[in-house]
Amino acid sequence: MDTNTIDYAKERSGYYKILVGLLLLTVVTFVQPHMFMTESTFAAQMIIAVIKGWLILMFYMHLKGEKLIIWMTGFSLFIVFTFFAIVIGVDVQKFQFKDESHITASVTATPEAGHTAAPVAH
Amino acid sequence: MSKTYFDETHCAIGHPKSKFMQWMLTVDHKRIGIMYAAVMFFYFFIAVGTAFMMRLELLAPGGQFLDGDTFNQAFTLHGVIMIFLFIIPGVPAVLGNIVMPLMIGAKDVSFPRLNWFTFWLYVVGTFIALASLFTDAGFADTGWTFYAPYSINTSTNVIFTLVAAFVLGMASILTGLNFLVTIHRLRAPGMDFWKMPLFVWGIYATAWIQLLATPVVGITLILAIMEKYFGIGIFDPAKGGDPVLFEHLFWIYSHPAVYLMILPAFGIMSEIIPTFSRREVFGYRAIAISSASIAGIGYLVWGHHLYTSGMADTAKIIFSFLTFFVAIPTGIKFYDWVATMYKGKIILATPMLWALGTIITFTIGGLTGVTIAMIGVDIHLQDTYYTVAHFHYAMLGGVVFLFFAGLHYWFPLVTGKMYNEYHGKISFYLQFVGFNLLWFPMFIAGYYGMPRRYFDYLPEFQIYHQVSFLGAVIFITGLIYMFVVFYKGWTKGEPSGTNPWNATTLEWHLPTSPPPLENHSKVPYVDFNPYEYHHGQPVVKFDYKTMQRID
Amino acid sequence: MSGPYVPEIAIDRNGNEHIVQGWQGDFYGGKLGFWLFMFTEVLMFGAMFMALAYYNTLHPQDFLDASASLNRLLGGINTVVLLISALTMGLGLLNMRVGKVKEAKQMIWATIILATLFLVIKGFEWRAEYNHGIFLMHDQLLPESSLALGQKLFFGLYFTMTGLHGFHIIIGIGLMIWLLKRINAQKVTPDHHILYWNIALYWDIVHLIWVFVFPYYYMIGAGGATGGH
Repeated sequence: MDTNTIDYAKERSGYYKILVGLLLLTVVTFVQPHMFMTESTFAAQMIIAVIKGWLILMFYMHLKGEKLIIWMTGFSLFIVFTFFAIVIGVDVQKFQFKDESHITASVTATPEAGHTAAPVAH
Repeated sequence: MSKTYFDETHCAIGHPKSKFMQWMLTVDHKRIGIMYAAVMFFYFFIAVGTAFMMRLELLAPGGQFLDGDTFNQAFTLHGVIMIFLFIIPGVPAVLGNIVMPLMIGAKDVSFPRLNWFTFWLYVVGTFIALASLFTDAGFADTGWTFYAPYSINTSTNVIFTLVAAFVLGMASILTGLNFLVTIHRLRAPGMDFWKMPLFVWGIYATAWIQLLATPVVGITLILAIMEKYFGIGIFDPAKGGDPVLFEHLFWIYSHPAVYLMILPAFGIMSEIIPTFSRREVFGYRAIAISSASIAGIGYLVWGHHLYTSGMADTAKIIFSFLTFFVAIPTGIKFYDWVATMYKGKIILATPMLWALGTIITFTIGGLTGVTIAMIGVDIHLQDTYYTVAHFHYAMLGGVVFLFFAGLHYWFPLVTGKMYNEYHGKISFYLQFVGFNLLWFPMFIAGYYGMPRRYFDYLPEFQIYHQVSFLGAVIFITGLIYMFVVFYKGWTKGEPSGTNPWNATTLEWHLPTSPPPLENHSKVPYVDFNPYEYHHGQPVVKFDYKTMQRID
Repeated sequence: MSGPYVPEIAIDRNGNEHIVQGWQGDFYGGKLGFWLFMFTEVLMFGAMFMALAYYNTLHPQDFLDASASLNRLLGGINTVVLLISALTMGLGLLNMRVGKVKEAKQMIWATIILATLFLVIKGFEWRAEYNHGIFLMHDQLLPESSLALGQKLFFGLYFTMTGLHGFHIIIGIGLMIWLLKRINAQKVTPDHHILYWNIALYWDIVHLIWVFVFPYYYMIGAGGATGGH
C-alpha cells in the first residue's frame, strides 16, 4: 500500500475534506439540542459521534481497503457492544431492588427533583 | 553446524560478552521461553507450599497453627500466584514462545525486542505482587478476586496486588499482540490457516483473549485506585457505588482468562494425540473452529459467577444458557481426540499418558462445571468446596496436566536430551492418583455444605479433609519426582536426535537438536497438512539440505 | 540483526520460489501490531464508558443535571483544537511519505502546540470547576456533602476519564518529541516511516476517544434539565 505512487495533491485535499466534514458535524452537535431529536439528545449525540468516528477511522486512520484490520476492528467493537448490551441493556435496566436499594434511594424517592434530593443518610 | 541456541544469541542491547548478560538481554524466543519457565515454576512451588500449609491447617477442625487472618492471606497468596503469575502466562509464555515460531517456520516472533521487554515486565509484575508480603500492612486478604467493597476497605495491601495484576496483564497483552502478528505475518510460505498445527490455533485464539479481555481488568484497577485514594464511590455502596459493577468488570476479564488458560493446553493435547496415535487428527477443522468459538463464546459467559450477587433474573437466564453453550465446542474437541485414537497405533509414552489422564480429569472438571452453570444448583453449590474441586479439576487437571504433557513432549526439542521414560511414568501415576485423592472428596464435602475459604469446619467434614491431605502428600511427591526426572534428563539424558517421536509438524524438522539460533536453516514450502500419517508412518519427508519435499 | 536484511527463499516441489516473510522491516506487521494495541485502548475506555452508562441508568436525572453544568464552550473549543491537530498530524505523515521531511517536522510541531493548547484549556476548565467546589476530594465531592449520589458519580467519572484522556495527550506529546529526535537522527525516513505512521495512528485514537467522551459528558444535558427523558 505504501508505494512511491502517492498522489500528494489528492490525498491532501482528502484530508481537508474530512476536516470540513468533521467541523460541520461538530456544529451539528451544538445545535442539535435546540433543533431536532430534542426528545432523545443522548441518542442523537451518539449517532453523530459514531459518524465522526467512522470518518476518522476510515480516512484519517487509513482503514479504507484494509480488509483484515477492518475485520479485527469489527470484532473488537462487537465485543464491546456485547458487554454493553448485556450489562447495561439487560442487567442494570432490570435492576430488581430499585425501591429498597440504598444507592438508588434518592432517585425513587423524589424522581422529579434529582438535584435537590436530600442527602442520603449514612 | 551443531551450534545451538545455547551457544549463541541475539541481544536487545549491545553484544555482551558474559554468558549471564547474554541470557538477561536475549531476544531469542527459545531462551525467553526457558527463562519464563524458570521464573514461573519458582513461584509455582511457593504457591504449592502455601496450599500445603492450608491443607495441614485443615487436617483437623479448629485452629491449628494458622489463625483466620493468616489463612485468608494464605489462600489469597495461593490464588494470586497460581492465577496471575503461573497459569495465565503459563502455556503461552513458555511453550507458545518456544514452540509456536518453530511450528510455523519463523525465525523468531514478530517483535523480538518487545518479547524481551515483555518478559522483564512480567518479572517486575511478580515482584510487585509479592512486595506487599514484606510491608507492614501485609499481603491482601481478599481472595484473588478482590471483591468490592471489602477490597476497598480492608487495611491490607490490596492496591499492590491490583497494580501487579495490571502490570502482569500488560505483559499478557503484549505477548498476545506479538503472537497475533507473528501468526498472521510469519507463517512459512504455503502455510495457510488450515495448514497450521492445532497448537498454533490454540495460541491464536488465546492471543485474542489476552488482547481484548485484559484491558478491562486494567481499568477496573484504575477505578479501584480512584475509589480508594480519590473518594469516588464507584464500587462502595456507602458512597453510592455498586459492587455488582465490580464483579461484572472483574469477571469480564477473569472468565475469558479461564479459556485463555485452557485453549493453548487443548492445543498441546491436539499435538500429542495424533503423534502418539500415529494417525491424522480426526476433524482438524472442527478442532480449529471450536478453539475459535470457545474464545468467542468465552467472552459472553462471565455472568455465571454472579448468580448469587443480585444480578437481574433475565441476565442470569441468558448467562446460564450461554454457559451451557461453551460445553458444545469443548465436547467436540474431546470426541475428536477420542476418534483420533480409534484404530490408531497408540504408543503409551509419558506425554501420551498425561494426555489420556487429562481426558479423564478434565471430563470430570468440565461436567461438574455444567452442573453449576444451572442457576438453581448453583445457589446450593456457590462458594462451597464443590466449586473449588470443579475449578481445580479443570485448571490443575486440565491446564497444568497438559502443560506437564507438553513439557515432556517438547523436552527433547528444547534440551536435545531425553528424560527417563520409566521414571517419567512413575511420576505421572503418583500425581494422577494423588490428584484424584486430593480433590474428589471435596466434591462430596462441598455438596454437603463445606464452604470454601474457611480455616475451620464442623467435625463431620474431617474425613474428607484427611483424605485430601493424603492426596496432597502423594501429589506433591509426584511433582517433585517429576522435576527430578527433568533435571536428570537435562544433565545426564541421552541425546534425543531431532525427531524422537516421529512427529510431523515443523518443529521436529530442524537442522539440529536443540535448535540453532535462527531456527530453520532453510524454510520449507508448506503444501501439506500438519498431521499426515499413513500406516503409522509420517507421509512428508524432507531433504534436510534444501528442505524440499522428497516423498 | 546486522547488515542489510536479505529475505529468504523457500522452494516448493515444483521448483517455484517463494519469498519468506521475515520479521525485519515488516511494515504491515508493524502496523497490524499497533492496531491490535489500539484495540486494547478501545476496550479500556469501553469499560470506563460501561461504568458511566451503568450509573447513568441508575441515576438518569442526576446525570442530566450534572452534564448541564459543565462548560460547553471550553469543551467545544477543545474539540475543534483536537480536530485540527488530527489534520496537522495526518498532513505531516503525508509530507513524510512523499519525502518532504522539513514540512513534516513543521506539522509535528504544529500538532505539539495544539496538544499543549488542549491541555491548557482543560486546565482552565478544571480550575473553574474547582472554584465551584467540584473536584476530586474537594468540597462537594466529599462523601459527607449533600450533592446527589448520581452527580457525585458523574463528576467523579468525569475527572477520571478526562484525566486519563489528558494523560494520553501528554504521552502523545512525548511520543511526538521522540519522533522529532528520530527524524533528526535519520532513523525515520520517507522509506522507513513505520514509527511515524504508528504515532499518527495513536494520535487519531486519542482524538477518536474524545469524539465519544465529549458528547457523553458535555452534551447529554445540553437540552435543558428535562432533555433526553
